[in-house]
Amino acid sequence: MANLSEHMTKARDMGLDNGRVPVEYYTSADYFRREQDMIFRRAWLMVGRVDEVPEPGDYIVRDLPTLKASVVIARGKDGKVRAFHNACSHRGVALVCQERGNAMTFRCPYHAWVYRIDGSLSAIPAEQDFPHVDKATSGLAPIHLDSWAGFIFLNFAQEPEATLPQFLAGLDQMLEGAPFEQFPFCIRVTDEIDCNWKNLVNAFNEGYHVAILHSKTLRPAVVPKENPHLHYLDVKHFGPHSAGTVQRNFDYNPQAPALTWVYAQMLPTSAPDIAAIEEGRAGFYEHPGINRLKIPNFGTETITIFPNISIQPLANGYLFYQFWPINEGRMRTEVRIYSRHAPRTLREEYAMASTLAATRDVVVEDMAMSRLQQIGFESGGKTHQQFGQNEPLLRMFTRDYEAYLQGKGMGQP
Amino acid sequence: MTESVNLPAGFEDLAPYAAVWGSLETQEERYLQRQHSTMKDLKAYYDATAPRLNAIFDHLDQFPMDALPDSEALLYRTALGLTETAMAIEVFNQPRVPYAPFPHKMAIEWNEYR
Ligand code: FES
Ligand SMILES: [Fe+2]
Repeated sequence: MANLSEHMTKARDMGLDNGRVPVEYYTSADYFRREQDMIFRRAWLMVGRVDEVPEPGDYIVRDLPTLKASVVIARGKDGKVRAFHNACSHRGVALVCQERGNAMTFRCPYHAWVYRIDGSLSAIPAEQDFPHVDKATSGLAPIHLDSWAGFIFLNFAQEPEATLPQFLAGLDQMLEGAPFEQFPFCIRVTDEIDCNWKNLVNAFNEGYHVAILHSKTLRPAVVPKENPHLHYLDVKHFGPHSAGTVQRNFDYNPQAPALTWVYAQMLPTSAPDIAAIEEGRAGFYEHPGINRLKIPNFGTETITIFPNISIQPLANGYLFYQFWPINEGRMRTEVRIYSRHAPRTLREEYAMASTLAATRDVVVEDMAMSRLQQIGFESGGKTHQQFGQNEPLLRMFTRDYEAYLQGKGMGQP
Repeated sequence: MTESVNLPAGFEDLAPYAAVWGSLETQEERYLQRQHSTMKDLKAYYDATAPRLNAIFDHLDQFPMDALPDSEALLYRTALGLTETAMAIEVFNQPRVPYAPFPHKMAIEWNEYR
């Protein structure tokens, strides 16, 4: 790295305005309604992994608070994964009540209409009383589904304006072949908090706060001397999506006995596996789309998928964050920690629990700050917030957010 | 439940901590216990257990992880409290995450595991 500062992408390098952004975007119920219609009913939304439904008949139920949608995702006998609204064609009951399972049919608990795993309606008790119902067209209401790299995406539009590859706009190509499937074991942490969802999106799109807000948690491990404000490096953008390279401190040597003990038991998801990196067998670290600069103290590539996802590949797994608005002042955060396998020993299980606690506490810091930010916004003294030159991805998100609200964004310039 | 179960031989002195942490079954409960504890109590527990992690796991290693005898299961649960307590002692120097709401609950799900 001859000159690191050359790679500290500034907003001006990307031609981004939006240095001042209306607080109203973050506090108004009207904006939230527009987000529901113009963003969340138009964009492709990630809802899970195909390996959550590996076998024919496997299904999961997901609720998407933003759209108040209850969704069944099921793998059919034919191996195809489909998504449906969880709503009976008779009188609407959300008939699939288990969060996951394996079944060839779903039977509504109210009057026992029966559906096949592919969503089609197979039986109506006392069918003679429903002569006006055409069984062939009265299955569960389908939702458009496609997948990329094993991630399941849904689109709630009648007809999506763009295919999933069009929507991903090249991000999929940069990450082609990235080994997400090598890390199937997942711990999921969820929380609801009183703030606008975009506060969290923004927190994950800049490193400026890391040395301050995370001074006790992340700073020692990730903020290097040569980049004290943890400017993201080599920012790449693909339509509204982006990726930026983040360093870490390889000379970080925790003196804390309990945390050090954890490091010795198992490679925690977020610790650099230096030996593996040197031998070129370290999962994501070998991928050509990740760490293009080949910086030696590479930490993660922070990957943002519009509107509400952040993915951070690490040495031995990856972190996945998703931010769902519930209304303009409340949101749900979902954090998933993916690793290679379930713990095989108590030492590994303990290490994983410890890593989980540490990862959660960092997100708790972000959420705590996002809540205080919301209190400040709602107090009403300021009409705008300011995004610096060192916060290019916040400006970019705002640009694309505004475009979506105006009916653009999905592939249109 | 801890009334009838004792810690394994050699770990009897951890009984006061087993009474607090050994009855907790989930990480969510341990996170809440940490928030409701004083630094004094957390430090005493930390000082008693952190230096003995190797001894604790050397002992636990002798048993199958899915079929721990009651005494070992109690010892293991007692040790797990340290995953939360270490954050308070080694990282934050206070029981709670700064600026977070209190009490703060977070749902944790280990997918299809155990
Ligand atoms: S509502 Fe489902 S069978 Fe009547
Ligand atoms: Fe943060």
